[in-house]
Amino acid sequence: MTNELNLDREAHDRMTASTRRGAHKTRANTIVKATDHATPLELSNITIHYGGGKGGAEAVNVVDDFNMTLHAGEMHCVAGRSGSGKTSILTVGAGLTLPTSGRVFWEGDSLETMGDDEIADRRRALIGYVDQGGALIDGMSALENVLLPAVPDGEVEQRRDMAKDLLDLVGLGRRMRHRPAQLSGGERQRVAIARALILGTRVLVVDEPTASLDRAAANRIISILKDTTSDGIAVLVASHDHELVRQSDTLTELI
Amino acid sequence: MNAVQRFIRSRVLLLTASILIVAMCLSVLVQGQSQAALNRTVDQNSRGLYDVLVQAKADDNGGLMQPDIATGQGGVSFEQLDSIRKLSGTSVAAPISLVSRVTQNLESPRLDATDYLGFNAGLAGTSGDPTATDPSKWPAAESVLSDTPKKYRLTASAVSSDGHSDQTLFKTTAEGSVGKAKLIQEQVAGGQNVRIQGPEGETGIKFPTPAGGSEHNLFNLSVSLPMAPQVTESVVAVDPVSERALLGTAGDFLAPLEKAPPADARNAGAIGRHFESLFTNGISMDELKEGPDFLGVKLKYWAPLMTQYQQAKRDGQLTADSQAIPLIVRSGTAVDLKYSVKIEEIDDSGNVTNDVGTVTRSLDKDYLPFVSKSPFALAWPGSKDLSQLMGDTGSFSQGLYNPATWSTNFAAAPAYKDGETAANGAVDKSASPGDWVTVNRLPDKAANGAAVDQTQRNPVDERSYRENLETGKKLATPLAMVYGTFDAASVKDAAGDVNRLPLGGYDPAPFTLTKDASGTDVNTELKPSLSATGLVSQSAGAITDYYGLAAARGYEQNASVIDAVRVRAKVPGSWKQAQPEVEKLANEIRDMGLQATVVAGSAREDASIAVPGYSKDDAGKESPLGTVQQSWVRQDAADAVSGSLTATNLTLLFLTLCGAALLTGASTVSYIRKRRSEAGTLRAMGWTQRRIRSWVLAEFGVGAALLAVAGIALSLISWSTATAVVSASVLVLYAGAAFVAAQQLRHREVVDQDPQHDERLIAVDSPLTFANRQLSANKFNTISLAVAVGVFAAAVGGLVALLIDIPRAAGASALSGLAAASIAFPSVILAVSGVAVGLLLTMVTGRFELQAKRQYLGTLRAMGWNPDMLGQVRFFENAMVGTVALPLGVVGALGIGLLLAPYAALWAAIAGLVAVLCWIPIATKVVQ
Repeated sequence: MTNELNLDREAHDRMTASTRRGAHKTRANTIVKATDHATPLELSNITIHYGGGKGGAEAVNVVDDFNMTLHAGEMHCVAGRSGSGKTSILTVGAGLTLPTSGRVFWEGDSLETMGDDEIADRRRALIGYVDQGGALIDGMSALENVLLPAVPDGEVEQRRDMAKDLLDLVGLGRRMRHRPAQLSGGERQRVAIARALILGTRVLVVDEPTASLDRAAANRIISILKDTTSDGIAVLVASHDHELVRQSDTLTELI
Repeated sequence: MNAVQRFIRSRVLLLTASILIVAMCLSVLVQGQSQAALNRTVDQNSRGLYDVLVQAKADDNGGLMQPDIATGQGGVSFEQLDSIRKLSGTSVAAPISLVSRVTQNLESPRLDATDYLGFNAGLAGTSGDPTATDPSKWPAAESVLSDTPKKYRLTASAVSSDGHSDQTLFKTTAEGSVGKAKLIQEQVAGGQNVRIQGPEGETGIKFPTPAGGSEHNLFNLSVSLPMAPQVTESVVAVDPVSERALLGTAGDFLAPLEKAPPADARNAGAIGRHFESLFTNGISMDELKEGPDFLGVKLKYWAPLMTQYQQAKRDGQLTADSQAIPLIVRSGTAVDLKYSVKIEEIDDSGNVTNDVGTVTRSLDKDYLPFVSKSPFALAWPGSKDLSQLMGDTGSFSQGLYNPATWSTNFAAAPAYKDGETAANGAVDKSASPGDWVTVNRLPDKAANGAAVDQTQRNPVDERSYRENLETGKKLATPLAMVYGTFDAASVKDAAGDVNRLPLGGYDPAPFTLTKDASGTDVNTELKPSLSATGLVSQSAGAITDYYGLAAARGYEQNASVIDAVRVRAKVPGSWKQAQPEVEKLANEIRDMGLQATVVAGSAREDASIAVPGYSKDDAGKESPLGTVQQSWVRQDAADAVSGSLTATNLTLLFLTLCGAALLTGASTVSYIRKRRSEAGTLRAMGWTQRRIRSWVLAEFGVGAALLAVAGIALSLISWSTATAVVSASVLVLYAGAAFVAAQQLRHREVVDQDPQHDERLIAVDSPLTFANRQLSANKFNTISLAVAVGVFAAAVGGLVALLIDIPRAAGASALSGLAAASIAFPSVILAVSGVAVGLLLTMVTGRFELQAKRQYLGTLRAMGWNPDMLGQVRFFENAMVGTVALPLGVVGALGIGLLLAPYAALWAAIAGLVAVLCWIPIATKVVQ
C-alpha cells in the first residue's frame, strides 16, 4: 500500500497543487528532483485548520491538501512567506501536532494507529526536531542540552563522547560548558542540531535555522545540514533563505 | 501613554491593586461585622433578669460563682431591702431566702382490683349526680378475682435512683387469700341493709402496720401497701410582688400569694376550724371542684389542709402560735422514685403457681408536694378503674395523713474548694461533704395512733452537702396551706439559660456526672436524692412569702433573714449601654455595707467538681461519686469574651494582611520581570535611571491613589481605628513594593563568557534530576513559589483551627459559645479569604515560570520524551517545591493554630500538611 501511495505521491508532487485558504487561493509549487531513496517521512493529504472552535473565532485554513514524501539523504525545503504554514507542516511531520485531516507516515507506518507513548518512542528513534531559535533549556550547559534526548533511554553516559563529537562537528567543542544565555543565536542553532542528531536520527526537521543569522553563520548551518544528508539523513527544513532553498534537493513553496 | 493607561495596561498592577482593595474592604467589613455581631450577642445575653446580686458582706470568692446563692443564712435585713428600693437607680429589688427543709410521708399506697359493679344498680340513688351513667347501662358485674378465694403473695418494693446507681428503699412481702366479694342484703329494723362482704374463707392481705390490710368497697378490693418512701423538699421565700416584677409573665403563678392574709390572720387553728366548718356545714359541688373561696383565692387543695389540721390537732402538734403558711407548690418532681408490687398466686405450701404480674408507678409529673394526689395508687393486673361511671363525685384527694415536718437541718450551699484552672477558664473544684443524714425513716405512729412497724422501710444514709442553720425562737409547728402550683420547667424556660444568672433559688443548676469513681468517662445527668440536703437538689418544693418564712423559722418580722436581693437597674438598653449606671448602683449598695456583685456581663460556665465520700454501703464503707460538672457563673464574662474574640478577629485580620503583603511582593516581582526589557529599551533610547524610576513610580502611584481613596472612604464609613490602620498598612505595603520595583529595574551589565556550568552539579539523567536542575537554576522562582505554597498551607491550617475551635477559643462560658457562634460565619469568611489570598499567591508566583515551563516541556516532547516522563518532570518539580514549602506550611499552620486556638493547633498543622500534599498533584495538573 505504501508503494502505491508513493507512486501516487510522486505523480502528485510533479504537478502544481492548488489549495484554498479562506477566500484566497494559494498554490504549492513542488520542484522534484529524481531520487530513489527510501521514504522515512511522508505526508498525505494534510489539511491544517486553526480556530473555529467554541470561542467563535473564524476558522483559518493554513494548509489544504498538502502532500510530500521525504527520502533518505534528501533535503526538502518548505518555503513560503511568514504565516504560510511552514512551521505547521514541520510540527505535523514531527508528530508534535495532529493535522485536521490527512495522514502522516513514518517509515511507512501511519501515526493514526500509534498511541502517544509509541509516537514519542518512534520520534526519539527517527526524528530530530530543531525548533526556531534552538529552544535550548536554560540552566543547562550546551553538552547537557545535547545529551537530553538520551535521558529517556538512560544512555546519557554512553553518549557523552558522541555528544562532544557532535559539538565538535558543529564547531562548538570549546563551548560545551557554556549555557544558552552565553551563546549566540547561530551557536544555539548549532547546539540544537547537535542535540537533534545525538540519537542517530534518520530525519532532521529544522524550523527556520538561518533566520536572524548573518550570512556567514547561516552558511555554516546550511553546510552542517547538507553534510547530514550525505550520511543518509533526510532533512525537512522550513525556510525562506534563498541559499538554503537553492541547496535543498526538493522544494515546496507555499504561496 | 500616560501613567493611568500604563497602569491599566499593566494587568499585574491592576490586579494587585484590585485584590488589595477587595481584601481591605473584606477585612474591614468582616471584622466590623463580626465585632458588631459579637457585641450584639454579648449585650443581648449578658444582661439577665437582674443586674446586681446583693448579699451580706463576705469574702469575695473570685470570678466564678456557685449557682445556688439562697443558703438560708440570711444577712440582709428588711430595712436594707427598703433602702435598696429607694435608690434612684433601682427598678426592682427582689429578695429571696431558703426557708426550710420539709419532710413528708406520702399518702398510703394501695393496690386496687376491680370488684363488683352490678350491685350498685340498687344504689344508684346514692350518687345523685345527673352526670352519672344511667345504672341500666352499667356493665355486668366482673372482677379479676375468683369467686373462691385464692392465696396470693404480694411483694412491694421501692427503688430510687440518683441517675448513676439504684437504691432499694424497701422490699416487703405479705401473703393472704382474697376473692370476689358478694353483695349481702340483710333485713334490719326498719328495712333492708345492703353491704359488701368478702367470700367465705378469705383472709385478706396484710402488710405490717400501718398498712391497713385489705378490704372490699364499692368498686374495688383495696389492699393497703407499705408506706411510700419519705420525700424531703425545700421551701424558699420571695416577695411575690417584686418577684413577679422580676420574672415578668413567667412569674404570674405567684399572683395568689399576693392575696395571702397578713401575718396576724394566719393562725393555724382559726384557719383549720374555718375549713372544718365548711365540711361540717356542707359544701357545694362547685366548691368541691374548684375549692372554696378563701379571701379571694379558690383553695383547690383545702381538703389536705383540713385533714392535716385535724391530724396535727389530734396529735397535739399545733399550738396557739402555729401559723398557716401559704405555699405555691411545684408540680411534678425530678426525684426518680419507683414503687412496684409483684403479685404471685401461691399454693398452701407457699409455692408459686401463677405469676400474676408486677405493677409499677413512679413519682412523676402528677406529684404535688404537700398535696399528694394518690401518687402510688396501683391497679391489679387486668382490672379497670370504672369509678367514673358514678359521674363527677367531687372527690378530692385526701392528701397527706400527717402534717409535714419542717426543719432547718439544711442551709448553706455545698462548700467547694478551688482546684486547677484550665487554659480556657474552666475550674476544677472539689466538694466538701457535710454530715451523713438518715432518710426514709418511718413515722413513729400511724394515723390512728398505733405504733408503726419499722421493718417496712430501710433507712438510708445520704451525704448532706449543707449545714444546719441557726433559727430564731422555738419553732411552732406550722400548717401548710397550698395556694397554687408552679411549673419549674416553665419558669426555667421563661428565664432562659443564660439569663438564669446566677441564682439557683427555686431552679438549681443541674449536675452531670462526667467521670465515675474509677475515672471512666460517663455522661449521666444526676437526679436529686430523697433528701433535700444532698449534692443534687431539685427545684424548690414550695414558694412562700416572708411572713411564711417568719412562721416556719420562728423569726421576728424584721430579722435579717434575706439571703440575697436581686436588683435590676432602672437604666434600659444593652449591657454596654447600661454598664455605667449599673456600676454606679452597685457602688451605692456597697456603701450600705452590703456585698454587691454586678452579674450583668456574666455568663454560665462549667465547673468540674470532684465529689468524695458520696455514698455508704451496708458495711459502712464510703465511696466517692467521681467528677461532676455543674454550670457556675463566670463574672465579667462579657468583657472576657469580647476581648478574646476581638483578639481572634484581629489575628485573622493580621494574617490576611500578611497574605496581602506576600501577594503584593509576588506581583511586584512579576511586574519587574515583565518591565525589565521595556526598561532596557527606554535606556537604549536615552532615558536616565531617574526618569525610568519616575516612569515606574507613576504607574504605582495610580494604584496607590486608588488604595488611598478606598482606605479613606472605608475609614470614613466605618469610623474605626482598625479600618484606618488596615488601610494605612496596605498603602505602606504597596508603596514599599513600588520602591523595590523601581530599584530592581536599574541597568545591569551581563557579559560573562566564562563557562558557567558547574561540573559538580548532579548530571541530568532522569526526570528527577532534570526537575532538580530546573529548580536549582531558578532559585528565586522556586523559593517564591515555595513561600506561596507555605502561606497557602498555613492559611488552610488557620481556617481549620478556626472551624474546629471557635467556641473554645473564646473561652468556656455559655456566653462565649453564643458569641462565638454569632461571629463564626464572619470569621470563617475572613479565614477563607486568607486561604484564597494564599491560593492566589501560589497562582501568581506559579505563573512566573509557567510559560517557560510549557516551552521546555514542549522541547522535551519534541526530543521524544514520552508523556509519562513529562508528567514525572512536572510532578517532581512540584513535589520538590512542596518539600521546601512543607516546613513553612506546617510550622505556619501550627503557629496560627496556637495563636487562634491552641487546642486545635495540631489539627491545623495536619491541615497544613494535607494542603501542601494536595497542592502538588493540582499544580502538576495545571502545568500540563
